[in-house]
Amino acid sequence: MNVFDNIIVSTRLRLARNIAGLPFPHKLSEGPARKIIDNVQSALSPLDRFNRYDMKGISKLEGTILQEKHLISPDLLEECPFGAVLISSDENVSVMVNEEDHIREQVILPGLSLDQAFDRVNRIDDVLGKSLNFAFDGRFGYLTSCATNLGTGMRASVMMFLPALTILNMIESSINYVGRLNMTVRGVYGEGSNAEGYLYQVSNQRSLGLKESDIIDSVKGAINHLVEAELRARQLLLRDEDELKDRICRAWGIAVNAYRLSTEEAMKYLALIRLGAFYKYIEISDVNAFQKLIVDCQPANMQKSGGLDMSADERDVLRARHIGKSLTSFCKKII
Amino acid sequence: MKCTNCGLRDATTEVVVRRNDHVEKMFLCSECAKNFRPDMDMGSFNMLNKLVGSPMGLINSFGSLFGTPTQRTIICPECKTTSEEFLKTGFVGCPKCYKAFEPLVVQTVKKLQQSDRHIGKTPYGQIDDTDENTLKTEMQAAMDSGDYNRAVELGERLKKLLAKKQEDNR
Repeated sequence: MNVFDNIIVSTRLRLARNIAGLPFPHKLSEGPARKIIDNVQSALSPLDRFNRYDMKGISKLEGTILQEKHLISPDLLEECPFGAVLISSDENVSVMVNEEDHIREQVILPGLSLDQAFDRVNRIDDVLGKSLNFAFDGRFGYLTSCATNLGTGMRASVMMFLPALTILNMIESSINYVGRLNMTVRGVYGEGSNAEGYLYQVSNQRSLGLKESDIIDSVKGAINHLVEAELRARQLLLRDEDELKDRICRAWGIAVNAYRLSTEEAMKYLALIRLGAFYKYIEISDVNAFQKLIVDCQPANMQKSGGLDMSADERDVLRARHIGKSLTSFCKKII
Repeated sequence: MKCTNCGLRDATTEVVVRRNDHVEKMFLCSECAKNFRPDMDMGSFNMLNKLVGSPMGLINSFGSLFGTPTQRTIICPECKTTSEEFLKTGFVGCPKCYKAFEPLVVQTVKKLQQSDRHIGKTPYGQIDDTDENTLKTEMQAAMDSGDYNRAVELGERLKKLLAKKQEDNR
């Protein structure tokens, strides 16, 4: 795992679009809402095989699994009865329909892939734009239900792993700095600055008055700043290397040998193992498998693999077994 | 100033409704503002005023005598979203709200986004043929993404625009 891969987990790029002449989703009735879903599905069909999930018919478990994979937002699942999502066969593209906007085209790729993600989402946007009449205004650009998304309707987000800045309580000042660059930073998996997995999502605030390429460049600038700050903080952690080694080796020991592990514990220990890979205390031979393990450990994904009638305790046992087995297959402690 | 509808409570809201080419103004208390529908015609509104003893003649006098009320509400003619809802939540109800609330939107997005002018991508088929820079940018974007058919189409449009400009300058 190289330095960049260790710090940058994934890239997400989304474009918000609406259909001209129709109320936005929070004012839309079921009939036209269904029609939009059908039209988007039909427009996407030449591109790939997209699986469609309507929020009305989806089980809570299935919906939560999609949410844990970041393919849908919690709002689509909980607040949008006429919502749906269309997901590409490789699960890199998801198009949410009737969430906050009629259409949210989203591409998620591993690592720092802003340019590639934009190319892909832009192609999808062109295809949709040929058959759907997007609401657009010469002055405000793409019209969205919330004024914060006007203009390009674009949000470029990068998920970052920032353990050293968090441990050393430097995360807040780093967040403030990128805030001045018009970026927003949020903790991933629900936590703020105390995110157990040390995962943060960095994204642009401004979507109007900038070209798409300008937004991408500004996000890259913020990412570079955070990478440099995290690397400096990781050097500072070495001031007490024995303490650091002990912390990481304990995390390895528990993650590999525990009989039961809650989601929070799993996130914490896997994060320390990932940090251990940076210092070469631990070797991760398959980065994608490691990343998949993090998603697999989330409650709904665990429930799906273990069976619907599992209790939370049984899920913790299964999680511990799965983590132990997976880590020993593609990771190795080398100190 | 009393509400121009019921004449009982103080007016807190100025309602401005755009109907075709003219603008109608009313000064309402919070209760009447809540019940007011923008599609209500002036005849039925007069009737309401007669019922509560506040003739329309006085409404106009109130308007000129008491100056600016505390709040001014605009209602989107298409989806009935109010400017108050927009200011409170940042959300509008339909694409037409942006025209109905344009001055407010400009004010808000300038604060939020430090700009009120879109300079990015335009939807397929909706490019302004009088904007040389946009045509050039879009053509470059099409070339970069390998969409050569679109690049050729945009090139043709750019050629026409430049020819027209040359003609105009003669």
